[in-house]
Amino acid sequence: MPIVLAPVNAALKIVKIVADDKTKKHLENLGVTMGGEITVLSSSGGAVVVKVKDGRIALDTMLSKKIFVA
Amino acid sequence: MKKFALAGNPNCGKTTLFNSLTGSTAHVGNWPGVTVDKREGVYKKTPEHVAIVDLPGIYSLSPYTPEEVIARNFILDEKPDCVINIVDATNLERNLYLTTQVMEIDVPVVVALNMMDAVEKNGDAIDAKELEKRLGVPVVKISALKGVGLDELMQRAYDFSSQERKGATVLKDSALAHLIGDVKIALDGQDVANPLFHAVKLVEQDSIEVEMHKDTVKMVEEFKATFSDDVFGDDFEALVADARYKYISKNFAPVLKRREEDKFVSTKSDKADKVLTHKIWGIPIFLVILFAIFHLTFSEDFLYLGAIFHLPSLEDLGLLDADGEFLNFGVKLLACVYDGAVFSPGVIINKLWNEILVGELFGWLGGLVEGSGMEAWAVGLINNGIFEGLAAVLSFLPQILVLFLFFSILEDSGYMARIAFILDRMFRKFGLSGRSFMPMIMGFGCSIPAMINTRTLADEKERTATVRVIPFFSCGAKLPILTAVAGAIVVWTGAGNADLITFSMYLLGIVSAILAVLLMRNTTLRGDTPPFIMELPAYHAPQFKNLMIHLWDKAKHFVKKAFTIILASTIIIWLFSHFSFAWKFLEDEEIDQSILAQISMFLQPLFTPLGFGSQLGANGWVFVVAAIAGLIAKENVIATFSTLAACLIAGGAISGAGLEVEAEDGIDAVRAMIDATGIGVPGLIAFIAFNMTTIPCFAAVATAKAELGTKKAFNNTLLFWVAASYVIASAVYTIGAFPWTIALWVVAVAAVVVCIVLRNKNLAKKGA
Repeated sequence: MPIVLAPVNAALKIVKIVADDKTKKHLENLGVTMGGEITVLSSSGGAVVVKVKDGRIALDTMLSKKIFVA
Repeated sequence: MKKFALAGNPNCGKTTLFNSLTGSTAHVGNWPGVTVDKREGVYKKTPEHVAIVDLPGIYSLSPYTPEEVIARNFILDEKPDCVINIVDATNLERNLYLTTQVMEIDVPVVVALNMMDAVEKNGDAIDAKELEKRLGVPVVKISALKGVGLDELMQRAYDFSSQERKGATVLKDSALAHLIGDVKIALDGQDVANPLFHAVKLVEQDSIEVEMHKDTVKMVEEFKATFSDDVFGDDFEALVADARYKYISKNFAPVLKRREEDKFVSTKSDKADKVLTHKIWGIPIFLVILFAIFHLTFSEDFLYLGAIFHLPSLEDLGLLDADGEFLNFGVKLLACVYDGAVFSPGVIINKLWNEILVGELFGWLGGLVEGSGMEAWAVGLINNGIFEGLAAVLSFLPQILVLFLFFSILEDSGYMARIAFILDRMFRKFGLSGRSFMPMIMGFGCSIPAMINTRTLADEKERTATVRVIPFFSCGAKLPILTAVAGAIVVWTGAGNADLITFSMYLLGIVSAILAVLLMRNTTLRGDTPPFIMELPAYHAPQFKNLMIHLWDKAKHFVKKAFTIILASTIIIWLFSHFSFAWKFLEDEEIDQSILAQISMFLQPLFTPLGFGSQLGANGWVFVVAAIAGLIAKENVIATFSTLAACLIAGGAISGAGLEVEAEDGIDAVRAMIDATGIGVPGLIAFIAFNMTTIPCFAAVATAKAELGTKKAFNNTLLFWVAASYVIASAVYTIGAFPWTIALWVVAVAAVVVCIVLRNKNLAKKGA
C-alpha cells in the first residue's frame, strides 16, 4: 500500500519507490531505500512524518502516494 | 599549517563544532561560483595551528546538489590533511552512510561521534572502541554543544593526519565488488588519484565521473549488459546505496546498545511533534507564536497592559514641562520603557538605542559641526546629508536584530522545519513549497537576509519567484512611510484609523505577493513544485553562543551592505537637491531649481495614473522625488519628505494651511506639505502602494543580483518590480478616485486569467 494509507506506529518495509532519479537519490541519502524499515509517526491529510533509521522525515502528499510499503 | 575539513550531514552539529573549535578566528565567505556559505577558521591548541574548513552539510558525495559537489571537490582537489566526519550518534545508520563514502577517498578520516549525551540520556549506549575497530579509523565521542571531547578529537586527528591512509570500501561483499575492483585497477593504471573512490562513483554512473573517465566507463556498461538484479534491475546507483545500508546495519549498527524496552518509545521530540505538527492545531499554534514574536518586537503596548488598565501617560503624570519636553534625563530614560503603556522588549531596545545612544551622539556631533565655523554648504552636507543618513540606517538595526534573534531561536530549536512542513500544503496551491515561507516572513524585517535565506530552496524557478515577491512583505524601512502617510490621512480626513490603514497595506502586500507568485508560476516560471522531503531534527534548546554568532553574522552583513549604499545615496540626494544643473549651490528656499526637482518635474507626468503625477499643483513633484529616492533606500522616502518640507516651508513655498508648525517637527511639516500639494486620499494610498511594491532598495537589489545568478533573471526581476508596482498603484488610485473603474479592472484581470489558462491548456496539449 502507499505509505499515505499505512497504519501509524507499525514497523513497515519499503517495497517500491516511484519517483524520478533525483528524488529517489535524495530519499536514499535520507535512508529511505528499497527493503528498508520505515515507521509512520503521524499522518495528516496526505502528508506524513516517518521515522527511518532513527531520523524523522516529513513527506508531502505527492511523495507519500509514491512510496509503497508492506 | 595543516588543513582539516569538517564533513557531515545537515543538522549533525557540524556548525556548532566548528564554532567551538575556531571561536573568534572564524570568518564566512562564499564558495566560488555558488551561493553557499564557506566557513573557515583556525584551531590553536594543537602543537601546530590547524586551519579548519566547514564543508556544507551533505547526506552523500553524489553530484546532485551544489553542496555535495563542493564538499566532494574540496576533499578530492584541495587534499585536506584530515577529514573530520561528524556523525550524529542519535541517528547512527543514516549518518554512517556518508562516512562509508568519505572512507573510500585516500585521506585520513576521523569520526567524531556527536550528541553522545542525547544517546546516553535515552538510556542507549554506543561502544566507540568497537566502532573504531570495525570502521578502521579513529572514533572519538564528543558533545559539540557542551564542548566535551573536542581537545581529544583534535589531538587524535592531528596525530592521524601525518599518516598515509588508503581508501577502503564496504562494498566488498556486494554483487558489484568485482566490477569495482576491475575499474579501480584500470584507473590505477591511468595514474588517477583516489582510484577506489572514482571507481565506486564510476560504477554508480555518477554524472561527473562519467564525464571525466569516458573510456573507462565502457567497462561498466559492458558489465551492465550482462547483469540484472531482482529488485534493482540494472540501476547500479540504487544497488550501491542498498549495499551500503545493508553493510551498515549488519556491521556498524550493532555497536549501538538500545535500552531494553518496547520498540516505539516516543521521544520527547515525538511528543512535542504530536502537538506542534497537529493537523488542526499546528497552524493556529504557529500563528500565535508568530504573533507573539511580532508583538515582542514591534508592539508599543506590551501585553496590552496600557489598553486594559488605562495607564496614564507621562504627560498625565506631570513629568513633562510646558513645551512637552522631558523634565530630566531620568524621565527621558523612563520614556523609553513606558508612556501610557509598557513597551515591548523590541521597542524598548529600539528607543534606548535611538533616543539615548544614536540621538545623543548625532546631536552632539551635529552641534560640533555647526560650531566649527565651516561654510554653510559643508555644514549642511555633513549634518543633513551624512549624519542623517547614518542615523537613519542605525535606527533600524535594533528591531531588525531582535526579529532575527527570534527567528534564529525558531531555527536552532528545530521548530522552523516543522513550520515549513505544516505550511507546505497551503503553499503548494500557489505553486511554492513550504520552505519558501521562511524567507517571506523574514521579509517583514529586511529583504536582504530574506533573499539570502532563499538558498534553502532547491528549485531555481521557485527560488526566483520567491526572491521577487519578498519585497512585497513590507520591511522595517517601509514602516515609517506607512505610519507617516497613514497618520496624515487620519489627521486630515478626521475619519478612519491609522492602524487599519497600516494593517490593510500589509495585507495588500501579502495578497499582491500571492497573486504575483500564482501569475509567475503559470507563465514565465512554470514548473512542478519540487516534492517536499524534509528532515525534522530533534528539538533542542538553542544555545546562547550559537545565537550570538548568528546574530553577529547578520548584523555585520546588514550594516556593511546598508551602510555603504545608504550613506552614499543620502549624500548624492543632498547634493542633487542643493545644486542646480549649472552646478550652483542653492539655498533651501531655491530647492525647486535643483537637479532633483527638475528631473522629477520632467518625470512627473508618468505618475499621473498613479495619482501623484501631473494632476497635482505646484509642489506635486515632491512625491516623485521621494519615490525616486526610495529606490535607493526606503528610509529615504520620509527623510526626503522632511528635508523637502523643511526647505519649502523655510522658503515660503507653502503658505496658509496652519503653518505655525515648527519646521523642526518633521512629521507635522510633512503633513503640511502633503496638504499643500492637493493630493487626495486615493493618491496617497496609491503612493504607499507604489513604494511598497516597487524596486526595494539598492542593497536588496544588489543582493537579488547575487542570489539570482543569471543576468536575465535579474533584469526580469527589476522589470517585474517596476511593472507590478505601477499596475498595483494605478489600480489602487483609479478604483479609489473613480469607483466605476473597478469594472474595467475586473474585465482586464479576467481577460488575463482566461488567456493564461487557454495558453497553458494549449501547451499541455502540445506536451502530451
